Amino acid sequence: MLQLVVDGLFVGSFYALVALGYSMVYGIIKLLNFAHGDVYMVGAFAGFLLFSTVTGLVASGGLMSLLLVLLVAMILTGLLGVFVERVAYRPLRGSPRLAVLITAVGVSFILEYGVRQIMGPNPRVYPVRLTGETFNLLGARITLPQLILFAVAGLLMVALNFLVMRSRDGRAMRAIALDPQAAKLMGVNVDRVISRTFFIGSALAGAAGVMAGAYYGTVDFLMGFVIGLKAFTAAVIGGIGNLYGAMLGGILLGLLESFGTAFLGGEWRDVFSFACLILFLSLRPTGILGARVVERM
Amino acid sequence: MTNYSRRRRPQLRLLAVAAVSALALSACSGGVTGGADEATEEGPIVLGMLAPFSGSEAAFGPYMENGAQMAIDEINEAGGVLGRDLELVTEDDACDATSATAAANKLITSGIVASVGGYCSGATLPTLPIFVDAGVPMVIPAANSNQLVEADQDGVFLINGTGDQQAQAALAWAEKQGVKRLALVDDNTDYSADLADAVAEQAEGTGIEVVLEESVTAGESDYSANVNSILSADPDMVYWTGYYQEGGLIASQLAAAGYGGELLVADGTVDAKFSEIAGDAAQGVEGTFTQTPDMLEGADEWITKYEELYGEGPGPYSTQAYDAVRVVAEGIEQAGGTESEALVEAIQNIDGLDLFSGPLKFTEEGTLSEGGFAIVEVGPDGAFVLKDDLQG
Amino acid sequence: MTTRAPETRSVRGLTYRIEPPAPTRVRPAPARGLREPRRFMSLVGGLLLLLALALPFINASPYIISIGTSAFIYIMLAMGLNIVVGYAGLLDLGYYAFFAVGAYTSGVLATNDMPLVFTIPFVIVACIGAGLIIGGPTLRLRSDYLAIVTLGFGEIIRLTANNLELTGGPSGISGIPTFAFFGWSFRDGLDLFGIHFNGKILLYYTAVLAGGAFAVLAVSRLGRGRLGRAWRAIKDDEDAAEAMGINTYLAKLAAYVMGAIFGGLAGILMAAHQTAISPTSFVFLNSALLLMAVVLGGMGSTPGVIIGALVISLAPELLRDFSSWRYLIFGVLLVLMMLFRPQGLWPSTAVLPFLRFRARGRSPREGFTDHGEPSENVDRSEELA
Repeated sequence: MLQLVVDGLFVGSFYALVALGYSMVYGIIKLLNFAHGDVYMVGAFAGFLLFSTVTGLVASGGLMSLLLVLLVAMILTGLLGVFVERVAYRPLRGSPRLAVLITAVGVSFILEYGVRQIMGPNPRVYPVRLTGETFNLLGARITLPQLILFAVAGLLMVALNFLVMRSRDGRAMRAIALDPQAAKLMGVNVDRVISRTFFIGSALAGAAGVMAGAYYGTVDFLMGFVIGLKAFTAAVIGGIGNLYGAMLGGILLGLLESFGTAFLGGEWRDVFSFACLILFLSLRPTGILGARVVERM
Repeated sequence: MTNYSRRRRPQLRLLAVAAVSALALSACSGGVTGGADEATEEGPIVLGMLAPFSGSEAAFGPYMENGAQMAIDEINEAGGVLGRDLELVTEDDACDATSATAAANKLITSGIVASVGGYCSGATLPTLPIFVDAGVPMVIPAANSNQLVEADQDGVFLINGTGDQQAQAALAWAEKQGVKRLALVDDNTDYSADLADAVAEQAEGTGIEVVLEESVTAGESDYSANVNSILSADPDMVYWTGYYQEGGLIASQLAAAGYGGELLVADGTVDAKFSEIAGDAAQGVEGTFTQTPDMLEGADEWITKYEELYGEGPGPYSTQAYDAVRVVAEGIEQAGGTESEALVEAIQNIDGLDLFSGPLKFTEEGTLSEGGFAIVEVGPDGAFVLKDDLQG
Repeated sequence: MTTRAPETRSVRGLTYRIEPPAPTRVRPAPARGLREPRRFMSLVGGLLLLLALALPFINASPYIISIGTSAFIYIMLAMGLNIVVGYAGLLDLGYYAFFAVGAYTSGVLATNDMPLVFTIPFVIVACIGAGLIIGGPTLRLRSDYLAIVTLGFGEIIRLTANNLELTGGPSGISGIPTFAFFGWSFRDGLDLFGIHFNGKILLYYTAVLAGGAFAVLAVSRLGRGRLGRAWRAIKDDEDAAEAMGINTYLAKLAAYVMGAIFGGLAGILMAAHQTAISPTSFVFLNSALLLMAVVLGGMGSTPGVIIGALVISLAPELLRDFSSWRYLIFGVLLVLMMLFRPQGLWPSTAVLPFLRFRARGRSPREGFTDHGEPSENVDRSEELA
């Protein structure tokens, strides 16, 4: 039983990291970035390339190299997010919703099949793997890598929280989320803040990608698709637009999935997640913690 | 009043032009009214192959194509079949039913005599009626879903061991190892689920109890929930019937969770990449597999020749594709021609042609009489090597 | 230009003449006959249909007939999606679910000895049910949510079909017979005027008539009717439409269900065409491609959607060499389209240039004057579909 909880929390932390990006972007420009899951995938591949090509400290494996690669991959994916926003989303800021959503689908395709062209359709094995001893915690197994990844994910979330709540940038983001026009009038450089939001959200997804690659060991070009959907589910469960909601939703979804598959069987896993999504949207669309902005659904 | 004649004229004119051009075009041959091309008795004998060259299984198409081409080149060098050269036409079925239907029709239109392709069962099933109706015998190197056999069509031959035969081999090995509790894990795709069902069915009446039938979702990374279920069922042996991408992950996650029993994998997972993905957990893993050249004595030459021609080693089903061409060539020789019914009968009656999987004799249903499955295990360098040929 | 007789009114004993105001601009008479855009397009459509019917006479090779059948099935699918995305503006990323429901329903029933024709009412009922189940909870949501939820539903349906024994599990259903009527099946072929039409050609004709003729006509009719106008209003501004008294929820649901029905009927045709269906045919990728067909062609415009459907369904065949680049190119095209030409290749409000009547020397760019010169460029007296 406790094992299910531990496993659920672990998977949930990945969902939470990606869901944060979703929530942030949605909160600011009301766009569901369909390509966000693929940013996670690009992050994983960026980490793969970094590990494979750079020698020296990096290739020696171990915690330090992982953190270094994590940092670089985060920066790279952050920049990718900014680039996508600038090229594909900003020109359509005044357009009807439908156009932006379709563009997001297009960007998702470009990322997925672009990576496929470059890296090939087969899964690639991470050169550096996280291995560690297993601890026994009240009857449940936890491995050292899992603990490390918990710690890293937690740190990232705390850092994000600090950024959004305490810093000037964060205030600006919240202001734009509440009322873009008023924020502009107050002198907030809306374009720059939006770019920064995309940077941070994408960086988080990239971090999750690298960690997933290092922990599980393989990366393939479609790994972002399902994660993207699950992360969206997590964001919705927690309350989209709300950062705490995204974290909560991610963890909750991980737990739900873990228990759900234990009772229903492995093949119903995704069906179970999507059913949760639909259930929440039908019964409580604002999520557990409620949306930041009150809007007619 | 409006001018009727003025309005009618452009419409009439356009209609007249359309009608005349349609009539003129219909006189072309190739149309329903035109005469059909007669089958030629001269020129090369064309064999068609459907394999995936794009999509999720894109990596496997070239292996099959190369294997078949090698056989064709060899046969042509030796003088061809009945004095005529063989020729191979490949089309991409993308492991997708719609592309496969179109590709099969395209092959029929190019006038093939026999089909030597078929990798994904889901893409081969729709092509069955197309080829059968056109009188083209199929010798299928890779696809081996039970539904192909159950379709019960004359002229469809499978030269890959069927799921039933592989299940037999797996159970024989399990018995040999003294396994009492068996867990079956599949990836919920057609081939894998079929195999797991076959094992479960055949295990009834033996001393082996199937304690768990678990499905995982392919394409994901985290199988901790499935691992939990497996461990709670406490099996002596786990038989994974899916592919290496997920197999490697499951193996490593099972090992990390402290699983101490045996792990047996099916032929979809027998690939050097499995060891790459599973890492240390690959040690001691066994698999059911049809014998490949590197396991047979004397097949080193074949491998070297393949590498010379194509720059890389052979892959899954290269040998089966090679054999499929040889089967068709033998059938044409025996039948004395390419006429469809005679060819089908000739192939059915082939006795003793030496294939990589052993001497060939088709059953009535068009499958191999002997699956030719053996037990392999992960060797020191990660590739699978022969452990037990189950003949004893 | 007719003028009405001046009305008279009496107010407190005084009689006033009320004359209609003199027109400030003389509008040119709307085009009559063939020059009228809709009639012209109908003629073009009719000619194309004739061409499609004549195709087997030009080239009856199994390959051409096969891709022709697939193309027309795809057109039917695209018209169905056009209702949902093009007319009502609901981004549906899981439309293939209805296709799957139709194909599986008819497949399961047909392999259990029901003639394919009799499966049609079952398919319609199943698709209406699916449309209500999927549309019911989700149509209250914003369009962004709708997209992902429909995607989720598409995956649910595909995975359920994959997991259930009834639908054949991952292997799907094979051996689906083609259309048969009272002992005579398409497979037996038809001999007419001395020409033998084999089963494939008969199926092709069915697809042309169902997809090319029926679907196109029915959907464009729908779009021009009252429901169509309601959908267009919702697409433009949902709140305003609600304020004008349109029950937006019911209208959206109607759009969904109509789209579902067309998807399901196309599913029957596909089941007959391919004789074997499996869950791998219904992955999200295909829904996205269909969406691309509608968007590339022009959302809401019948000619545009037909063009888009033909491009997307025939491109893989014509460009078999570029198959690995295909999806990347599609993605790039989609983004470029949205950035630079969101209305698509053939926008719904487009009129062929030579059908627009223009007063000599005057165009909208030169500005409008009201000195009695005709300055209307497009005839608005009847709205185009």
